[in-house]
This record gives sequence, C-alpha cells and structure tokens, in this order.
Amino acid sequence: MKNIRTGLIFGIIGGVFTITFGGWGVAVLGVAMGIGLGLSLCGRLAPKEPSKLVIEALPAAVAAGVVLLIMSLLDNYFIESAIGNTPASLKLVIPANLIGVLGGIVLSLVIVALHGLSQGRERIGRLVLLAAVVIVFPFSDNLTGLGWTSLIIFALIYVILAMGLNIVVGYAGLLDLGYAAFFAIGAYTTGILSSAQDNITLNFWLVIWIAAAVAAVAGILLGAPTLRLRGDYLAIVTLGFGEIIPVVFNNLTSVTIEEPLTCWIIPGLQRLFGATPLNSCIVLANKVNVTNGDLGINPIGRPALPFIGTFVSNNPIPWYFLIIVIILFSIFLINRLRESRLGRAWMAIREDELAASQMGIDPVRTKLLAFSMGATFSGFAGAFFAAYIAGIFPSAFQFSTSIIILCAVILGGIGNVYGVIVGGLAIELADRLFLPALKDFLSGLMNHTVLPSLASNRTLHDIVAQNANPILYRYLLFGATLVIMMAVRPEGLMPSAQRRLELHEAEDAPNEAASKKN
Amino acid sequence: MNEKLQRALRPLIVILAIYLVLLIGPVASLDIPSIAAAAAKNPLQLVQFLIIGIANGAIMAIIALGYTLVYGIIELINFAHGDVVMVGTFTSLTVLSLTGTLDTKNPVHIILGLILALVLAVVVCAVLNATVERLAYRRLRNAPRLAPLISAIGMSFIIENFGLMWAGQSWLVPSFGTSGGASQKNFPDLLVNMFTNLGLNVNILASTGVHLRLTITGLVVIVLAAILMLGLRFFIQSTTLGKAMRATAQNRDAAKMLGINIDNVISATFLIGGGLAGAAGIMTGLYNNTAWWFMGFRAGLFAFTAAVLGGIGNITGAMLGGFIIGIVASFSDGILDARWTEAWVFAILVLILMFRPSGLLGEQVGDKA
Repeated sequence: MKNIRTGLIFGIIGGVFTITFGGWGVAVLGVAMGIGLGLSLCGRLAPKEPSKLVIEALPAAVAAGVVLLIMSLLDNYFIESAIGNTPASLKLVIPANLIGVLGGIVLSLVIVALHGLSQGRERIGRLVLLAAVVIVFPFSDNLTGLGWTSLIIFALIYVILAMGLNIVVGYAGLLDLGYAAFFAIGAYTTGILSSAQDNITLNFWLVIWIAAAVAAVAGILLGAPTLRLRGDYLAIVTLGFGEIIPVVFNNLTSVTIEEPLTCWIIPGLQRLFGATPLNSCIVLANKVNVTNGDLGINPIGRPALPFIGTFVSNNPIPWYFLIIVIILFSIFLINRLRESRLGRAWMAIREDELAASQMGIDPVRTKLLAFSMGATFSGFAGAFFAAYIAGIFPSAFQFSTSIIILCAVILGGIGNVYGVIVGGLAIELADRLFLPALKDFLSGLMNHTVLPSLASNRTLHDIVAQNANPILYRYLLFGATLVIMMAVRPEGLMPSAQRRLELHEAEDAPNEAASKKN
Repeated sequence: MNEKLQRALRPLIVILAIYLVLLIGPVASLDIPSIAAAAAKNPLQLVQFLIIGIANGAIMAIIALGYTLVYGIIELINFAHGDVVMVGTFTSLTVLSLTGTLDTKNPVHIILGLILALVLAVVVCAVLNATVERLAYRRLRNAPRLAPLISAIGMSFIIENFGLMWAGQSWLVPSFGTSGGASQKNFPDLLVNMFTNLGLNVNILASTGVHLRLTITGLVVIVLAAILMLGLRFFIQSTTLGKAMRATAQNRDAAKMLGINIDNVISATFLIGGGLAGAAGIMTGLYNNTAWWFMGFRAGLFAFTAAVLGGIGNITGAMLGGFIIGIVASFSDGILDARWTEAWVFAILVLILMFRPSGLLGEQVGDKA
C-alpha cells in the first residue's frame, strides 16, 4: 500500500511538471520521474531476488505511470487551450506519452531490480544507467526540440562551482561568502587572454589551464589575509573580496600607471630646490581599456576540436559533453584529494584547528591550499562560462552568485560531493528551467482565462494584471525554498554520513536535557 | 637570527608597500598627489565631506546596531535586516502618501505626518523582524550554524520580493508611477521643502558664515540617531530587560537557570533591532531621497560591515564602525571616485581585520570559532 502511495506521489509531481512544460516535456519528465521513483523505492525495499522486487514494485510504478498519463492528457486537451496554446496533435501526443510513461515504468523497475544484486554490481549497474541517461539526453532533447540542453549547461557550470566551494566550506570548514570572485577571475582571465579587447588570442585549451592557475594563485592571495580570522569575521572578509573583485573588473576601463619616482617624486624635489625638472616620466600604461566596464568583453574565443570544428552557440551538444568531461575530471580529482593527506588535514582543521596543529598539521599551508584548490575549480568553470556565452559582464559575478553557489552546497548536503552536484542541479534547474516555464504557463493562464473574466471590473483587472507577472515572484519562491528546506532538512538533501551523525548528536543533546527535565 | 632578519626587513616592506600604493593607487582613483593638491586648495571641502559622512554614518550605525544586537544574543548574521530597513522606507512613504503629507504645504501637517510615519515604520519593522525570528530562526537554534544563516538569506529574498511587489502598487501610492516595481521611487525631502516654503534657509550652517552645508534633514537625522543610540545604551545598561539581554548574550544556559525566559528575550531583541531598522528606513529615505526594493542589500551590507569593523556583538563598536564606514564612503564618493567606493569600504575593512582580527572593540575570542 505504502509503495503505491509513493508511486502516486511521484506521478503527481511528474504530472505537475508536465503541465508546466507541456508538449514533449512529458517524455523527459517521465524518465526523470521513473529514476526518482526507483531510487525512492530502493530506500524502502529490503534487498532480495530481483524478480520478487520487481513484482513488489510493479503496482507503484504502474500507478505513477497512470497518474502521469492522465495528467498529461488532461493538460493537452483542457489546460493548454486555457493558457492560449493549441493542443498538440496525436502525432506528438502518442509517442511523447508512450516514451514518458513506459520509460518511467521500465526505468524505475530496472533500478529496483538492480537493488536485488550484490552491492558492487548494483553500483556498476546504476553507473551504467546514469551514463546512458546522461549520454542519450542531449540527442533526444535535440530530436524533440525542447531546447533544454543549453539551459542544463548553465546548471552544470554551477555544479562545478558548487564542487569547488564544497572544498572550502565543506571540507576545510571555512565559510566563504565571496566565492564568485574566483569565478570572475577565471572568466576575466579567459576574456582578456582570448578576445580582441586586449589583442591577445590564445587557444581555449591553453587558456582554461591558465584561468585555473590564475584563480588558484588568487585563492592564495585572497586567502592569506584571512588566516587569522575565525567564523563570521572570515565570512565577512571573503564577502568583502567578493564585492571588491567585480568592482575592480567593472572599473578597469582606463588604466593609467605612471611610475611615481620619475613622474613626481624626483621632479617635485628638483622643483623644491629650484632646478628645472627633467621630463622623463616612465608611463607603464596609458588609458588602457582592460575590461570594457559594464559593456563587458565580447566576443571571446571558443574551443575547437578536430572533426567537430569550432564550438558554436546554436549547437549545445559539444558544449554539453565538454562540461560533462570537466565535471567527471573534477569529481575524480576531488575524490582523490579528499582521501589524500591534504584532504584529511582539511577535515582535521575543520573539526579542531588547535588539536590539528598540535598533531603536526600546518594550518596556514592547509587553509591556503583549501582556498587555492577551491578556486581552481571555479577557474575551470569561469573559463568555460566565458567561452560558452562568448562574453562576460561584471553583473554576472555579484554577491547573489556567491549566495546561490553556497545555497547549492548547503541544500545538496555539505561535505558530500554527490550531494553538492544534486544541489547545484536542483537550484539552477529550478531557476533556469522550471521558473521560466512556470512564468509562461501562468502568464498564459492570466491573459487567456483570468483577465478576460475580470474585464467588467476595471480596478480589480488592473491590480491583478499588475501583480500577476510570475517573474515578480522569483525571489519569493527561491527564498521560501531555502527557509522551508532549512526548517525540514537542515543537513541538506544528501548529507555526508559524518555530517548526518554530527547533526543528530547535536539534536539529541537538548532533547535529552528536555526529557530529563520532564 | 630569523627574527632579527624580519625586523631588519620591516622598514623595507613598509617602503615597498608605500611605493606600490603610489604605483597602483591611481588605478583605483587613489591619486595621492592630486588629492593633496585639491585638499590644499580647498581644505573646507574635507570638513564638508566629514559632515556628509557623519550623517550617512549615523544612519548606518543605527542599522548596524540591529545586526550587532541580534549577533550578540544568538550569534546569527541576520541577513534579512537590511531588507527590514527597506520595508521601513516603504512603510513611511506609504503612510506619508495616504495621509496626504506628500502633497501638502502646511508645516504642521508635514511634521505630524512625519511623526506618524516614523512611529508606524518603527512598529511595522519591529513586528516584521520578530515574526521573521519566530518563523525562520527559532526552530534552528540548535541546528548547525550554517542552517540559520541560509534561512536568513532565504528570508532576505522573501522580503526583497515583498518590496518589489509593494513598489508596483501605484493604486496605493500614486507617486510610485506606472514604471513597475523594479524602478527606484522618489522619496521627497519633506523637511527641506517645508523650509523652502516657509522662506527659511535650508542650510542651517549658513548663519555661521562658513562655506559649509548641512541641510535641516541632515541635522534631524543626526539628532534622531543620537537620541536612539543614547536611548538604546540606557535601555541595555539600566532596565531589567536590558540586563536580561546582556545575561542571555553572555551565557544562554546560565541565564535560563536564573529564570530568564530566553524566547521572550530573543523576541524582544528582534523587536528592538527591527524598530531601529524602521527608524533608519525613514531616515535614509528622507536623507537620500530614494526608495527601492533592492536598497536593503547595500544598506545591510555596509551596516553589517560596520558592525564587524567595530567588533560584532559590541554596541559601541557598531556605532563607531557605522561612523567610520560612513566617513570613508563619503570621502571616497567626494574626493576619489564614487565608482570605487564599495571597493574602498571593503578594503578598509580587510585592512583593519588583518591587524585586529576581532574588530576595533571586539573581544579576543578563544577557539570557539
């Protein structure tokens, strides 16, 4: 019974998303729903023979599929017309729903069946499944014309950023509120080194490494003044750097550097003693426009590969696979780092700096390396970002960017690299994919159904029309998600095992005290 | 040996630092020779920027007090605080509009309207701040430290969105116009207008004969801020609730054992902080003449910086930090280049924290991180 209820819940969630997106969305959403349902059922069912598991999970999967199908059809034949779209033809409806519903059911059953195998095999099976979904997705997206790949790439950029920040905040326990500064440094390094703005055009494959290296050095330089600071003082100084860096990039539009000794100290002294000053001022830079201010640097050079050619904007598939490769590389690197001597030193510093330094860990070196390693990944992300959108503007690196990355880390599960990936995906997909779709859906509903029915009452009509733009509520939704998430699950979606343990320890202590009092 | 070498190198490092400042400084508009020349030409200008800085710093100090009070008692950076200030500005502007104060020329009407707007802004912001605590922070008191911080950021987004919606309601406040909620709204300087209408000189320093300018609004802001600061000091030092707040800040468990109701004390702290934010909201509206849904972000950021600069949790420190930030910002705006102000404010913060890691007046905390 409980399984069926889970199935119904997943079906309804998938259905709600389907209604928001419409059209081919049901195919992709059905598959995503199936994966979610499968994983959720695995958490409940005890491992036994795969065939028995499948039989046990079948009603839930079918229930989810049926709910999804009903809501999808409901959407197509009743709701789409209410928001001013023409319902899709049978040529689209039949294959889309077939793929979505059957794909969802089959995938959830396969995941459940894998649960019956031994742990190692289950892991391999899941990885194969995940790889298949990741590889197939952009091509199916291209075929159906949904255009989600180019949006998902933004989410994947945030995934890299969140993984980098996780090193600083999650592993080393240093709260960094200005992480977007390193993102900006990576992006601007790329912009300066591969655009006509400063007359340097290096190859992208070289620039991405330079950007990462520059970001790493910046991590050490900006980390050094913070070493003596603790807790919230550290947070505010990193926030300060996060504010300074975009201002600097914004203002480097007319850089003049005159060597002070020759330009006015010596002439001034000469004038003081009555001599005529020699005119030999050394000017290192005269009104150089480095970053082009608000207008930003563009265009920026793009990567090119043999067989594929130069990556272009209207074909996101090469970009998608490039960033997937960067992510896989980052996961590999971060996992190795965490297990290394350095990674264990980070966690020791996080738990107790004094004790760690007594055990022979050098806190200065360890902390600086945490800042620097964390910054390296944002250097990669920045280089990719700059090349992908082919232009960079200082407004992309505001405080809110730092906050969104931090939220991704905390929502996903601080300290766990896979949790952080989920967090980055969830936040950015909500922001880039779901909210715009919701906006289109709601404004369609407003303009075609609600407003005409209010036409008789002019004032009410105007007030509703003024406030009905859902894009107005973007911050509200985002904020409410954060508050609710923290109230319900402060440890994040997928916390690291250690963190979960710590949290419950902290929660249990006051409870014990309370129960003793009673 | 090593220490000797370090000591010998120190003057060299200082000279190198000065040289670098002279070399790179002009890029960030810190062009010392030309600034010195300008200051020598018109030294009164420096005093003028000091006056502007004090007025802005007074507002910042009032906002910073709200941060520091909350931080002192529950060690939380209340990110939503700056946005509460924004709500204060919008409340007062709405009250002024609804009471007809924006359109009248009657000085009694204006003064009564302003007082009513001040009172309502204080009440609304106090209640809002306490509600935020009740809804978002209270249940997280024993959660890991990052959880309430994220919750506070979420609350900040919610309140900002609320302000964005509010600024779009031109049926409520006609002067908001039809440009939608995202644009900056004009907050008329009612006191200056009133003085002009009465035929009085707006510049209260005019009679002294010096070429300095301090508008009546600036004076009111400074006086009101001083009253609020002195009042808060008296409250914290001498009343029972103030003592309970200090006790709770020092040791929550011990305070509980002595019969202090922690929840009530924390609610009272948020009420007071919110009330101060409301007062700061109307002051910043009158003095800077804008109301904007996003204004709380910058105001909050600077005020929070001020609180940290002074030593967070320390009330005198917050006031001192507020004035320092206000004066630095005003000098940077006036003498350097307004584009670089934000960078200079944070650069000063970083410099001070490098040498005093717990702020100017903060206690040297142990390993409690």
